[in-house]
Amino acid sequence: MPSCSAAIPRPSVLIVDRSEDSREVLRTVLEKRGVRTWEATEAQQGVELARRHHPQVIVLDLDAGDAEQDEIRNQYQAESNEHAAYLVVIGRSQSYEQILPKDRILAKPYHYAPLVRTIETLLSSLAGP
Amino acid sequence: MACLFVIQGRDQGKRFELEASLTGVGREATNAIRLHDVEVSRRHAQVAHEEGQFQLIDLGSSNGTFVNEQRVDRHVLQSGDRVQVGRTLLIFTGNEDRSSVDLAAEVDIVQPGPAAEGSRIVSSISREQGRQIFSDAELSASPWLARARSNLQIMYRTALAVSHTLDIDQLLQRIMELIFEWVEADRGCVMLLDWESGEAIPKVFRSRRETRSSERLRISQTILDYVLEHREGVLTSDAREDERWDPAASILKLGVREAICVPMQGRYGMVGVIYIDTYTPPGQVVQNRHVNRFSEEHLKLMVAIGHQAALAVEDTSYYSALVQAERLAAVGQTIATLSHHVKNILQGIRGGSYLIEEGLKNTDTDLIRKGWNIVDKNQEKISNLVMDMLTFSKERQPERIPAQLNEVTGEVVELMQTRATTANVSLRWLPDTGMPVLQFDPDALHRAILNVVGNAIDACEKTSGGCVTVATQYVADAALARITVEDNGEGIAAEHLQKIFSLFESSKGSRGTGLGLPVSQKILREHGGDIHVTSTPEVGSRFTLEFPAITDKPEEAPLEGGGLETLAGAPPPDRGDDRLDEVTQALPPANERS
Repeated sequence: MPSCSAAIPRPSVLIVDRSEDSREVLRTVLEKRGVRTWEATEAQQGVELARRHHPQVIVLDLDAGDAEQDEIRNQYQAESNEHAAYLVVIGRSQSYEQILPKDRILAKPYHYAPLVRTIETLLSSLAGP
Repeated sequence: MACLFVIQGRDQGKRFELEASLTGVGREATNAIRLHDVEVSRRHAQVAHEEGQFQLIDLGSSNGTFVNEQRVDRHVLQSGDRVQVGRTLLIFTGNEDRSSVDLAAEVDIVQPGPAAEGSRIVSSISREQGRQIFSDAELSASPWLARARSNLQIMYRTALAVSHTLDIDQLLQRIMELIFEWVEADRGCVMLLDWESGEAIPKVFRSRRETRSSERLRISQTILDYVLEHREGVLTSDAREDERWDPAASILKLGVREAICVPMQGRYGMVGVIYIDTYTPPGQVVQNRHVNRFSEEHLKLMVAIGHQAALAVEDTSYYSALVQAERLAAVGQTIATLSHHVKNILQGIRGGSYLIEEGLKNTDTDLIRKGWNIVDKNQEKISNLVMDMLTFSKERQPERIPAQLNEVTGEVVELMQTRATTANVSLRWLPDTGMPVLQFDPDALHRAILNVVGNAIDACEKTSGGCVTVATQYVADAALARITVEDNGEGIAAEHLQKIFSLFESSKGSRGTGLGLPVSQKILREHGGDIHVTSTPEVGSRFTLEFPAITDKPEEAPLEGGGLETLAGAPPPDRGDDRLDEVTQALPPANERS
């Protein structure tokens, strides 16, 4: 008989970032916390991974390819709305500022501790009380 | 693209493109055309773009908006219009949409034939004849022609003198020299108007005689004010008889006998004034009638010279402003690009530090090691960036010393081995065992080779079975040393090949600085060599670094003067490309070794 905890999906994060270092840091730290991660280096590739795996949180670096294009932004927004995924954006962009709360936009250069805390908070809000 | 170009004011040299349907002009940061001019209102005016027309609308500004010196509330701008807001002068350039087709429709070149026009040549004159058009024989018959020639010559020489200079001081100096050549002035001064204070500031002074300190040129403010206000040249042959100066009587006090003061009136407004005089100190003023040295003719001539000079000053200022704007743009681009790279490196260091911190908190050595690797990698990145910046920024001669090219190249290969392994790329090293000791700058060559090898590894990252081959070759008969770096990576498209040596052009996205190849090329060129590249997309690239092989053979053929350097001597016995001995370090990709 499946346990109750089996119904709770494993926390998951999609990291979309061209920087190998940034991906490695986030992947290492999140996996240590039991979070499943996927990685993409380009915004479009990130959309495809998001559609396939429906991560709970998407961390999108705006330097990753065409992240600021309207079409790409709309696709991330649609994925976020349809599957209740939280989008966290790294970098400055007026178009993302219009669709996201301020605490989910981080200007570069940023510190990892607050980013990881934000991700943890978002994941725990999904996990419920 | 229509634009407004600032030709005068604090923002001189800035160019604002009128892209939006409404472009604000004012002092506030919210304006697309933000002017740092205290006489401009916060929201001074706006340019409305509709159906190809650009309308300038004053927004109730305190000091008004002027187009071609006329105050306007609304005005449809035409190319060349001068827009004045506060103390800032801008030139409007509209969209140039007159095509050659339009012009062709207006001009017909009639071909020879029955339908041709019946014109015929009735007279012709050669260039030589043209030059003699004011010959002495003609001139003696006509005083008018003599004057005309004289004036034309002055204007022609003025035009020549004021062209081809970018230095305003030099330009004004030339103008003053010309004036002294043509006009019997004792002293002269060119003053330019300071755009901020409106004051005439002396820029050039010249005296025919040696000037004693007591004979300093003192220019009557009354004359200056009159010329500036009325924008007309004045001649005073005897100040005391000229009723215009009576109220101020300053000329009498200053003892000026004859003076000409003309405005420098340019296309866009007053630029300054030219003042010349014949000077007699007050105590030596002769009471008797004297012969005037300045005439109406001189005044006319000076007015014309003043206009020419003003045009030249405007052109020079305009051009200087353009050059300055371009320099600023280049500096801005450089700073922006370098800041971007430094920011990325800083981000990497922060990431590594964070992992180390986490590892220390949890006593996790794996995490600490991972973090340290990231910090170390980024430390190397910033070191390379700084070295590339330094190499690129300095013009220098390579510090040639006797060195082993194989040793230098081998060090690069060894250094890049870890990076290649991480990227699953095999790195092969084929040194030419017959490479002699050469005279070159080993540190510089190391940097040049490092950049090219690093690029080759990056180019193979996405290639399965990626392979980079580094080889050296001594081409004795051509006295050349050669390093080739060949990869089977993604290759470079033909249209991008031309750009790869341009500064800040990188196909590696945020990872590339766009400095590596320009730096490598610079180093090779400093050695009298160059870099050549051939590439095929999806097949790979081959970079060839070549430089003259200067061997160190002092005992065989010392140079005259005791120099130790000789050009490479006779070729060694038959050594072709196939002599390259593959030696060590032909590593398989990391994934095959694990």
